[in-house]
Amino acid sequence: MSVLARSVGNAFRNKVRTGAVVAVLAVAIGLALSMLVANQAVAAKVTELNASVGTVLTVNPAGGQGFEGGGEPLTAEQAATAAAVQNVSSVVGTKALRLRNATAAAAQAAAGTPAAGPGGGQGGPAGQNTTTLTTSLTAAVDAGTLGNRNQAAEGTTGSTGTTQPVRSLPITATGIGAEVDSTGKALSITEGTGLGGYAAASTNALLGTTLAEKNGLKVGSTFTINDQTYTVAGLFDAGTTFGNNALYVTLPAAQTLAELPGELSTMIVTINTLENVDSTKTALQSALGTDKADVTQGQNLETAVSSLDSVKNISFIAFVAALGTAGLIILLIMVMLVRERRREIGVLKAIGAPNRTIGFQFVLEALVLVALGSVVGAAVASFASGGIASALISSNTSTTTTATTWRGMPGGAAGFPGGGAGLPQGGPFGGASQLLTTVTASASPGVIATGIAAVFGVAIIGALVPALLTARIRPIEVLRGE
Amino acid sequence: MIEVKNLVRTFKSGDRTIKPVNDVSFELEQGTLASIVGKSGSGKSTLLSLLGALDKPTSGDVVVNGVSLASMPDGKLTEYRRRDIGFVFQQFNLIPNLSAVDNVMLPMEFAGIRKAVRLARAKELLEQVQLDPEKHIRRINRLSGGEQQRVAIARALANEPKLILADEPTGNLDEQTGEHIIELLSSLSRDHNTTILVSTHDRQLANKTDRRFRLQQGRLTEDPARTRIAATAPA
Ligand SMILES: Nc1ncnc2c1ncn2[C@@H]1O[C@H](COP(=O)(O)OP(=O)(O)OP(=O)(O)O)[C@@H](O)[C@H]1O
Ligand SMILES: [Mg+2]
Repeated sequence: MSVLARSVGNAFRNKVRTGAVVAVLAVAIGLALSMLVANQAVAAKVTELNASVGTVLTVNPAGGQGFEGGGEPLTAEQAATAAAVQNVSSVVGTKALRLRNATAAAAQAAAGTPAAGPGGGQGGPAGQNTTTLTTSLTAAVDAGTLGNRNQAAEGTTGSTGTTQPVRSLPITATGIGAEVDSTGKALSITEGTGLGGYAAASTNALLGTTLAEKNGLKVGSTFTINDQTYTVAGLFDAGTTFGNNALYVTLPAAQTLAELPGELSTMIVTINTLENVDSTKTALQSALGTDKADVTQGQNLETAVSSLDSVKNISFIAFVAALGTAGLIILLIMVMLVRERRREIGVLKAIGAPNRTIGFQFVLEALVLVALGSVVGAAVASFASGGIASALISSNTSTTTTATTWRGMPGGAAGFPGGGAGLPQGGPFGGASQLLTTVTASASPGVIATGIAAVFGVAIIGALVPALLTARIRPIEVLRGE
Repeated sequence: MIEVKNLVRTFKSGDRTIKPVNDVSFELEQGTLASIVGKSGSGKSTLLSLLGALDKPTSGDVVVNGVSLASMPDGKLTEYRRRDIGFVFQQFNLIPNLSAVDNVMLPMEFAGIRKAVRLARAKELLEQVQLDPEKHIRRINRLSGGEQQRVAIARALANEPKLILADEPTGNLDEQTGEHIIELLSSLSRDHNTTILVSTHDRQLANKTDRRFRLQQGRLTEDPARTRIAATAPA
């Protein structure tokens, strides 16, 4: 019989109590691990967000954002000006088009409702020179409640309770000067190829996966925009329902379709390093003129990152608190055990056991309890951590995210007229919630191992106090009664 | 060689102090088998616990082979208990959830003896105290009082101590087993030069010892001759 065997045996001397202690420990350890998993997942997301979009600035016409607002359109000359600004590594122009299903548009016109065009349903007079065109494609997103409201509202809220004709949602077509989406992120092409040269007009297009699916299109299929036939060169996955109800063509092609050559909706400016972003933003703004262009740094992202940061902090505090609780449980239970076995400790000393052997035996016994608690706790955490992480994120970000999403969006729900089940799937400027929902809290073995190591560390500290208490027990205890 | 010098142990109970060990002095040569008799509460267990370094005297000293216990730090006292002393407690003080063998192996484990050696020796010792082999692996709290007492004796012998302090080692044993234990102890003192001090109410045991002490109200006296006690005591 070794110290270890004796410690294990002692841990099971009172099975009912051991069971209770293990259960309580499992709850604390499970919570600690879940919080750690949430913390790690969010931290990883923050890093990823910062790394991916941190150096990208978006230039909009002054007074305009997305399809809204007013002001003068951006031009190719401004793109050249922007490209000349120091530390700018690339400028990608985009030209946004709004496509409507030809049949649905005709039907809506017949029903006497003006198709929501610029200045229509969106309330803003003449959005930033966005042109609505017809297409053979059908939107992949159902209008739904939000869609209908967005399409109908004439800046009023009177649509509630009134029967409205079924509306179709527009499809966003964006002409792009490089293989990036409208927020500057590289497109994730799932099938087929990119458009090749983005600087020349071509009749190739990239379709969002759901849009292609809805219309039964594959790579190589054709469709029309304003009677011009386009070929599907590839499919992309933007990761969101809204983002996938879109298509990309080359910038010149979009400009031709809009009959506005040289005009840009936005410019996506990439800065060479993260450190230069702030100064370059200022330089860019003055080069383009405050009355001509708005330079933004994806503020939704900043909000997303800051709310993620608070989730990170909260989960870390909760992790530490749960860890402390586990340590405290161990401390209390071991103090109790030491008091209970006073006489036995006296016997061990009387027959010559050194203090450290006895202390070690008690620490080991505590670790046996913690090991059992960790096994159960890890099982609990692997089931619960996903739920806990998303609960944390949604409860913590709902206010800030909503505020961001709604900013500058007259009359409507999240961002672009999104539809479907009414989930505010944001557009490029309503992206916080969408970014957050992609935080995946999976209990990776590495994180769990780290957490359990921390639990053991705390348990050792917790058990050390009572173990040291055993050193004060005198061997003469054995000659006295209980 | 153990020298006891003016040993005093006092206890305070309420406002009066009792002195179960009051200025006790004696010497024991190595290999002596000695006994202490005395009424219940006369201080036998208290004296043995002082000799065994379980308790500290109020004053006086115990010198073992020239080394004073009073001057030893706690760590050395622990080592002394582990290496030099075998203590048989009046209440046995075995670890209740361990088996007989495990209990006997414990002091050897603390002394750093290899497991296989410990096990073999523990079994041998349990055989010497005549514990049924089938009870070797039985948990202590499932053994009878007398069986526990014999396990306690076996445990005290585990590290081949130079001094065995046995507090009424035959108190729970039948006459025959008790006699066997007495035989075992006297053979240890004779053949292994072990010093043995037993406290006992058992006159038969006391009569077989080389030296006999009597403790009365904390004072120790020695019965000078073996034959006198044997002669005056009716069978
Ligand atoms: N820790 C203590 N505090 C107060 N009094 C004590 C303490 N330990 C022992 N005593 C007292 O000291 C006296 C001697 O006790 P001790 O146990 O040495 O007697 P004993 O000779 O071994 O008796 P027995 O034959 O019944 O075992 C008793 O009166 C006892 O009440
Ligand atoms: Mg006694």
